[in-house]
Amino acid sequence: MPEIYLSLLDRILTPVLLMLAVIFLLAGHNAPGGGFIAGLVVATAFLMQILARGDQFVRRLIGTYLQPAMGVGLLIALFSALTGIGNYGVFFQGIWWKISLGDFVLEFGSPTTFDIGVFLVVSAFVTSYLLELSRPAERAAK
Amino acid sequence: MSINANWLAAPVIIPLLFAASSLLVATRVNLRQMRVQRNLALIASVLNLGVALLLLHSTVIQDQRMVLHAGLWQAPFGITLVADALSAIMLTLTAVLMVTIVLYAIGTLDQREGLNFHPLLLFLLMGVNGAFLAGDLFNLYVFFEVLLMASFVLLSLGGRPAQVNGGMRYVVLNLLASTVFLTTAGVVYGTLGTLNLAHLAVRMEVAPLTLRIIVAGMLLIAYGSKAGLFPLFFWLPASYHTPHPAVTAIFGGLLTKVGIYALFRIFTLLFPDLLLEWQPLLLGIAALTMLAGVFGAMAVNTIRRVLSFHIISQVGYMVMGLGLASTGNELAIGFGLAAGIFYIMHHMIVKTALLMAGGAAELTMGTGQLKEGYLGGLVKRFPLLAAIFFLAAFSLAGLPPSSGFVSKLGLLQAALDSQQWMIAAVSLLVSALTLMSMVRLWQKGFAGKQHKAALPTPRRPIYGFTIAPIMILVVISLGMGIFSDTFIQWSQVAAGQLIDRAGYIQAVAPTDLIAPVGMEH
Repeated sequence: MPEIYLSLLDRILTPVLLMLAVIFLLAGHNAPGGGFIAGLVVATAFLMQILARGDQFVRRLIGTYLQPAMGVGLLIALFSALTGIGNYGVFFQGIWWKISLGDFVLEFGSPTTFDIGVFLVVSAFVTSYLLELSRPAERAAK
Repeated sequence: MSINANWLAAPVIIPLLFAASSLLVATRVNLRQMRVQRNLALIASVLNLGVALLLLHSTVIQDQRMVLHAGLWQAPFGITLVADALSAIMLTLTAVLMVTIVLYAIGTLDQREGLNFHPLLLFLLMGVNGAFLAGDLFNLYVFFEVLLMASFVLLSLGGRPAQVNGGMRYVVLNLLASTVFLTTAGVVYGTLGTLNLAHLAVRMEVAPLTLRIIVAGMLLIAYGSKAGLFPLFFWLPASYHTPHPAVTAIFGGLLTKVGIYALFRIFTLLFPDLLLEWQPLLLGIAALTMLAGVFGAMAVNTIRRVLSFHIISQVGYMVMGLGLASTGNELAIGFGLAAGIFYIMHHMIVKTALLMAGGAAELTMGTGQLKEGYLGGLVKRFPLLAAIFFLAAFSLAGLPPSSGFVSKLGLLQAALDSQQWMIAAVSLLVSALTLMSMVRLWQKGFAGKQHKAALPTPRRPIYGFTIAPIMILVVISLGMGIFSDTFIQWSQVAAGQLIDRAGYIQAVAPTDLIAPVGMEH
């Protein structure tokens, strides 16, 4: 059941939520945040879409990608944990790469990719859960 | 040869890797995708068996422990995975059961029922393996939850009303037990300031008696409920007969044994003195569990219900081993524990074989009813299936030369040696009643005449893939009985490592930097 005021709000809120999610995802190692929270924020953005444009729209848009996204996320997280084993290390050991771009140095490591995997799993799982929940609600509304 | 500690992560990684990969292919229901999932599960379970055997070799045969501090975070701060002989034995048994259940599923699962069965099975395997390897209370809890969630979905796969009904009882009662477990973990962390098992073993020694009793009691309730001990077993007979036979078979072989494993681990490591003080309690629970299970089995009337109740009575024998862990006169201390571990080995194999055979009969005939006029005549119609069922039932009842005989004999020896006449008498009585119950299954289900009028036409033929895994398990069971000295030796190594607490603490080597609240020293 698309609502006009919600679709107006959605144009403002969705970009904000998505940017917040990126910040949370990258800040997670030293500050509050992380893949789990970023995933929940993205799922909230999809919830906005479900409320504003109806679950059919969202399902058509991303429905088929949700389950593969969970699989890909699990695999990314798993392989990030496995990178620790290289170089006679230990499972889950953090590996960091420093990329210097002129003045500032970008630190990128296996904990970041692990978080990206978690982010994919959580956002895909919660979104598919919300989509399933909205199915009976949609039916009741009609 | 000692292997790299990173191998300890493999029993968790392998199922997760293959389960995640099969999520990638499972977007639509069709035969080809199910076949891909099935092949992935088969590869995963075979790889898992290989790793389990590797761990078995380096812990049991070489009599040592392996510890992995994930991410190089020393205990008690990081995630610690520990494998000792008991963990490795449990991992190996689980791996064997997984391979056979994937084969059995090829023979019995049809296309619609099969959707997502295999990924869920792999998630279940990951949870069970993780629980056997967990080196701290919280990770034990997490892996318990993983296996609970996977098993709940497996139970209700298919979505018939009876399944949803049984599944609800299963999940509610198990979540209650999990809540008790989590609360206990909170109490432990709040008072002792650590959750690492080795660290807890050090700090539990100086903890106040009240705290020890509360923690031990609550963990006994939580794990006892997962293991199906008296009086907390109600979820088991309410749910185990409802799902597909392949699911029942793997649940019957695995799930309650995870609870038993946790009891063995926690009591020997954290509360060795309570093992002696609470001996009457433990033996009492064991006796009541055995009796309740075996009497329950006599009162119900379908093959899988009877077998489900027998799981409960058999779990009683394992707790009997735990109760006899720290006593002994002629026999060494720990012989009871070793007999209990041997019993677990025997039970996991035989129970799964029986549930597979019973399930195959039920699938073929379209009914599992034991009342007059339903089953019967299976001996003539499917002689091979009947013969296998007979051998497995023979072993469960404890007749020589099967593994059941040796394991029951070991427990009886331990009981007589520590002069626990009550439990010895009960275990003999329950043995006799189990034999009676197996005879009843045989007479009503397999022997006798075929009831043509009441019988629906056989639903589906029995394939080689249905029979082969049951045969493998029965052969393993017979082998465990005939070459029992090897397996008894293994369980004695496992029991010895369980009793050697100092060795466990030394292997994990927790740093003692942070003093617990109120216990600064």
